Amino acid sequence: MVSGDAIAGRAVAARTDWQALARRGWRTKFTAQSALLAFLILISVPILLPYFWMVVIAFTARTGGVASDVLWTACAVILPGVLVYSIVHMSVASPRLRTVAGLVLLVIVGALLVALVGSKLHLDNFRFLTRANFVEELRSKATSGAQFPSVWTAFFNSLALALSQTVIILTVSSLAGYYISRFAFRGRNGFLQGLLVLHAFPAMTLIIPIFLMLHWIGLLDTIVGVMLVLAAIELPFYVFVMKGFFDGVPWDIEMSAMTDGATRRQAFRLVVLPQVRVGLIAVAVFAFIRAWEEYIFVRTFLIENKNWVMSLYLFWVSDDVMGVDYGIVAAVAVFYVLPSLLLYVFCQKYLTQMTIGGIKG
Amino acid sequence: MARVELKNLRKEWGGATAVAGLDLAIEDGAFVAVLGPSGCGKSTTLMMLAGIYQPTSGDITFDGARVNDVEARGRNVGIVFQSYALYPNMSVLENITFPLRFKTVDSAEAERRAREIAALVRVDGLLDRRPSQLSGGQQQRVALARALVKRPHLLLLDEPLSNLDAGLRLTMRTEIRRIQRELGVTTILVTHDQIEATTMADRVVVMNGGRVEQEGVAEDLYERPSTVFVAGFIGSPPINFFDGEADGSAIKVHEASIPLADSLRGPVVLGIRPESLRVAAGGTPARITAAEPMGREVLYTAESAFGVIRFLEAGAEPRHREGDNVLLGFAPASALLFDKTSGRRIDARIVA
Repeated sequence: MVSGDAIAGRAVAARTDWQALARRGWRTKFTAQSALLAFLILISVPILLPYFWMVVIAFTARTGGVASDVLWTACAVILPGVLVYSIVHMSVASPRLRTVAGLVLLVIVGALLVALVGSKLHLDNFRFLTRANFVEELRSKATSGAQFPSVWTAFFNSLALALSQTVIILTVSSLAGYYISRFAFRGRNGFLQGLLVLHAFPAMTLIIPIFLMLHWIGLLDTIVGVMLVLAAIELPFYVFVMKGFFDGVPWDIEMSAMTDGATRRQAFRLVVLPQVRVGLIAVAVFAFIRAWEEYIFVRTFLIENKNWVMSLYLFWVSDDVMGVDYGIVAAVAVFYVLPSLLLYVFCQKYLTQMTIGGIKG
Repeated sequence: MARVELKNLRKEWGGATAVAGLDLAIEDGAFVAVLGPSGCGKSTTLMMLAGIYQPTSGDITFDGARVNDVEARGRNVGIVFQSYALYPNMSVLENITFPLRFKTVDSAEAERRAREIAALVRVDGLLDRRPSQLSGGQQQRVALARALVKRPHLLLLDEPLSNLDAGLRLTMRTEIRRIQRELGVTTILVTHDQIEATTMADRVVVMNGGRVEQEGVAEDLYERPSTVFVAGFIGSPPINFFDGEADGSAIKVHEASIPLADSLRGPVVLGIRPESLRVAAGGTPARITAAEPMGREVLYTAESAFGVIRFLEAGAEPRHREGDNVLLGFAPASALLFDKTSGRRIDARIVA
């Protein structure tokens, strides 16, 4: 009897224990999740705030000064919104309810923003998009007509540079990567190591010799010159990345294509290339953005204003003896950052895979 | 469809010999299996037949014409890889019509032929799918269809069933055999699985160390293996080998002695298959050390005067236990004798 009671007592104790443990587990999970969320919000503030500020300035600033009241008002509305949503997200289990709550919050925050700062928004700072001689107007005292290009000249120069860069890097890195991946040749390992060393080498130190070389060749102050220099400096890394992707394509598939009647080139084009599509997209996006954001080389090698690219345009807009018009600088910056932002958003899932391909090599 | 011949075919990889002088003739429409352990040069031979590797020396002929210098794409050879090697960026239909892109076949005709062959290998309901949406067996069938759609002179199968589970392997064995018979295409199957080789092919070629050890039908390989290697490779569970010394009238193995009907001298290897041994009165005493039930039969390991010996007994229930003492006998005709130095079989008879 006694021993039977003892066993029953122990069983009851075990049952209550489970519930307490479950509660404790839930509490731990909740605390850990809130801590994580708080941490993520905290570290993303200094990263996101400058971008947010830039956008706010671009749409609100008037000539003369920057008022930060709009920024703080907006933050005061958006931050509580984010906090409320995080709490909802953690305490509501159903994904549908979460979405509904999120939408409701979005509407509330949007309405509050319109009510509080809506009247202060304007597009005045974007007038540089339509006026050809905008920079001269801006700094009228120091300049004469047509000394500065229109923003569209700079935009299309940047576009030409970035697109040609993409094409060159895609072509060369896919062909070279394939060759290094598939063919054994004397000095292949040395070549691969060389590629990495070249990538680690700070290209900036070469700027004077490159300047002189471009001058002697006659490509100084041309977009083509910058294009070649950038491509040469960036290529080693992309060749290495593409080699990694090609390593991941099984031999069998190529052999199969060749017994099916394809030439090596057809096998490459029809069967191998489609399998490294992710790599090609990643390389293309990175090459494009790298050329789009280039500043040092274009600043050094491009002199004539007709050759200016977006980064130089931004520089000259902000470089004003009469004091800077921050509204306009911010508006140009927004316009400048938009293409790369869109590219990142649309190609994000391919970009995250690039490192995977790279590691394989 | 073609008659394929290999004459003194060699392949060396910078000093290492993968294939060391291979002679083989395959009749038009025959199904031949090349069987051997990994690294015996069987896959290298296949790649040379497909035209992917160049032989170091020797000739490959299709219908008597030398094709050594014909590129892979010109040989009209269909190949199915162990990994299936389907093109993941194409649908099943595109995969099957792929080989016809490089021939003078218009797209309507190509699609008709693809559908016909897809029906033959029974994937006609899957033509719009991607390879990644197919099961292993279905991928296998698609790979087979792709290899066959161009009506190849020669069909090469490189371990085609190794990646399938046991049940599917059984089905695909019969399926591949049926399709081969129906089309009458000359086929070479490379495998390390003896059951696959003997059940599917008309003739089996056993390779080892880049050479042909023996070729023949399954019964020949099992009952009259020409070398120690073949005897050890064919048969499961593997044959018992005992090193012995023939002194003219008898063979001394370990502590036992077996009388000979023919005169023979020198070191020999005695081979007795586990299934030819019987527990019988008047045999050699042996003590059971392990009993492993295998379903229909039990595999025993025992210690005897010959050394360690393994034998099979029919029946699901083990009739002997560990430590039991039994008497083991075998029919003299079932024992195989090999010359120890050359490894070749000797036609000498044992008395009992």
